[in-house]
Amino acid sequence: MIKRLGLDKYSALYLWAFFVVLFGILRPHTFLTRTSIKTVLVENVIVGVLAIAFLIPLATGTYDLSIGTTMTMSLVITSSIAKHTSIPQTLGMLIALVACGLAGFVSGFVVVKLRVNSFIATLGMSQIITAFVYYTSEQTISGVLKKPYQRLGTRLLFGLPLFLYYLLIIAVIAWFVLEHTPVGRYMFATGGNPEAARLAGVKTDRLIWGSLVASGIIAGFAGTVYSWKVGTYGPNVGPGYLFPAIAAVFFGASQLKGRPNIWGAMIALFALASGIKGLQLTFSGTSRWVEPLFTGLSLLGAVSLASRQSVIKIPRRKVAPPATPADTPSSARTAAT
Amino acid sequence: MADALQIEHLSKTFAGQVALDDVSLEVAPGEVHALVGQNGSGKSTLIKILAGYHQPDPGPARAWISGTPLTLGDGAAAAAAGVRFVHQDLGLVGMLNAVENIALTAGYRTSFGGRIRWQHEAASTRAALAALGIGDLDIKAPVASLPPSQRTTIAVARALVGWEQGASLLILDEPTATLPGDDVRRLFEVVHRLKDRGVSILYVSHHLDEVFELADRVTVLRDGVRAATHPVSDLNHDALVELIVGHRIESATSTEAVVGGRPLLTVRGLRGATVHGLDLDVYPGEVVGLAGITGSGREHVLGLIAGQTPRDDGDVMLDGTAIANYRPRQAMGAGIAFVPAERALRGTFAAMNVRENLTVTDVARHVKGFRLSRKAELEETHQWISRLSVKTASTESPIGSLSGGNQQKVMFGKALRLSPKLLLLDEPAQGIDVGAKDQIHTLIERAAADGVATIVASTDTDELVRLCHRVVVLVSGRAVTTLTGSEISAERIEHTQLQTTGRGA
Repeated sequence: MIKRLGLDKYSALYLWAFFVVLFGILRPHTFLTRTSIKTVLVENVIVGVLAIAFLIPLATGTYDLSIGTTMTMSLVITSSIAKHTSIPQTLGMLIALVACGLAGFVSGFVVVKLRVNSFIATLGMSQIITAFVYYTSEQTISGVLKKPYQRLGTRLLFGLPLFLYYLLIIAVIAWFVLEHTPVGRYMFATGGNPEAARLAGVKTDRLIWGSLVASGIIAGFAGTVYSWKVGTYGPNVGPGYLFPAIAAVFFGASQLKGRPNIWGAMIALFALASGIKGLQLTFSGTSRWVEPLFTGLSLLGAVSLASRQSVIKIPRRKVAPPATPADTPSSARTAAT
Repeated sequence: MADALQIEHLSKTFAGQVALDDVSLEVAPGEVHALVGQNGSGKSTLIKILAGYHQPDPGPARAWISGTPLTLGDGAAAAAAGVRFVHQDLGLVGMLNAVENIALTAGYRTSFGGRIRWQHEAASTRAALAALGIGDLDIKAPVASLPPSQRTTIAVARALVGWEQGASLLILDEPTATLPGDDVRRLFEVVHRLKDRGVSILYVSHHLDEVFELADRVTVLRDGVRAATHPVSDLNHDALVELIVGHRIESATSTEAVVGGRPLLTVRGLRGATVHGLDLDVYPGEVVGLAGITGSGREHVLGLIAGQTPRDDGDVMLDGTAIANYRPRQAMGAGIAFVPAERALRGTFAAMNVRENLTVTDVARHVKGFRLSRKAELEETHQWISRLSVKTASTESPIGSLSGGNQQKVMFGKALRLSPKLLLLDEPAQGIDVGAKDQIHTLIERAAADGVATIVASTDTDELVRLCHRVVVLVSGRAVTTLTGSEISAERIEHTQLQTTGRGA
């Protein structure tokens, strides 16, 4: 039933359609308007960029938990250069992106060469990056970024700011590399079974390392978008975006292909964002707790719908003996020893 | 006094294949009783029925533990009746230390507030290990960091907890299969101590020197039937081998190789894992078999050549190119294709479909312009599916939806699409049905006819007889014999691989 309706692989699209209909009926004059659609799109660009930054190393089976602080690092470098030097602000932004790439390179070194589990390695890196951020500036920096610099991202094209198109471009490139080039195929092979990938001649170490560098640069770009859109640096800006980005990636991984994929993540992100927007419009004043509750429930719901498909009925002990040793429940062994 | 274990008329059939046929077995109190036999003789099935993994066929099967009737195929009943197991993989939790591992099954003694009495637990663990002759073990270290013989001893100590309160039989299932030489000696001392304590032991092994070292009596299983039970003192090595192997009717005869010229592959002084110095030449179009019991090095030779396992030493040359140590990609580039054993662990990508699993070795050949051409990739996938007669719903089906045999065919396609000069096959027919096995064998023969040199490492001697022009038998990490042409027979291979090597004896 679940499978026939596609609830396992397309639950985010169903959810999205449901919100559009529900809130379209409940709040016809505010929800289905240009302004609110535009708000949903614009407000989620940063999470979208970070989601891609998280997804790329995840394809190789590597967690990058430092993306939130990497974003802050990009922002603090761009802002500090603008405040203290006469270097052109666009160049300052590029320097920030290079620095973020370097941070990814260091994470890669720790994961690949020092053989530290990526979860731990990037958790440690995120703290080191946070230290760098505080060292650079503990104070908020505002009003230093000039209009011409910010207009690189905020200029409107067909009524929407340019940075929305940049997200689209990054998504298309990432999708193309992951789904339509050998590099992407080898990345998923590495994430799926590293030993089998290595034996099949895949350069697993290089892919993991490279994906962390890419992740660093893209996370840095999320900081760039923030500098265009908001223009103010604060030392705690980045980490708040981490959870929504990760949630979108895992929700999205349950969509379409059954593995991490760009469009799944983007659909999940904007479906959730639409729902949150609708809830905010419907229950104004109580919006603070609605958002995380809703994100959490949707994530758990979608992933459980998708994983139900892979759950084969669990054989009960004593009713039917397993035919092969491989099927034997390990509990039988413990009971016997 | 009643026997520690008595089994009568035990039969077991798996999907039409007879694994055990009316087997009886008696273990006398205080004796070490060895259970031996080839792979597939039924000894592991028998142990698994006692442990409750398998149910016996309905019928007249009956069993007693120290005179009390026991329901066969019920693990809990066996445990309650006092049967203790030390399985081949030991079943220890690597991250926990000796005290915690023993308490896993024995339970913790707690004091006020449910606090574990650690000092008390540590003391009793130390005492249990000291009774087995290991007093210097670090009981605070995670067992994964301990040497294999100490891990085995911990598993034995765990099985012996509360022995005096009604346990009656200890089953050691191939306890030395994964132990290095020196450690085997130490385990022997443990078994001797148990014998002195009067513990009845059923000792499963295929190392015959262990049988002569430890056992009082030996029961031989052959093709699911009890071939004999004798006091060990009545037998010598050759007589026991004769009982194990029997007189085999050859199911297939091997073909003469058409070989000549210079060897394609030369291996010199190969060392690493269980291999201790191996030389090997393989000629184009030749199929060379590697035989040997577990621990003989058979299971590591191909991995050492192909880069699955790091070498300690040795040179490998393929057609004038040196094959680097532990670099599968370089080996592949030089013309080696490797189909590893344990498909799920090292071969397949569970999250990927048939097409992606097949083309993962060099998918880059399908790049047109900047992108992968789905059309070219599909075309190739369809070709391999029909050439290898892979049964699959579609090229896009998850690899796990295929039967083991069909998954293995995809693994073959993945190797053969590289047009290799040398094909390395580790247990090529592992876990697949008879029909698929036959098709896989035909594929190997066809590849050889095309001039591909092939090495097959296998525990299935019939498979080696059918496929190989030459069979190299390994014992204790070295090649002891090479059989060629008409010398190759299952009986001969099995005799040779059971040679005593002085290991532990």
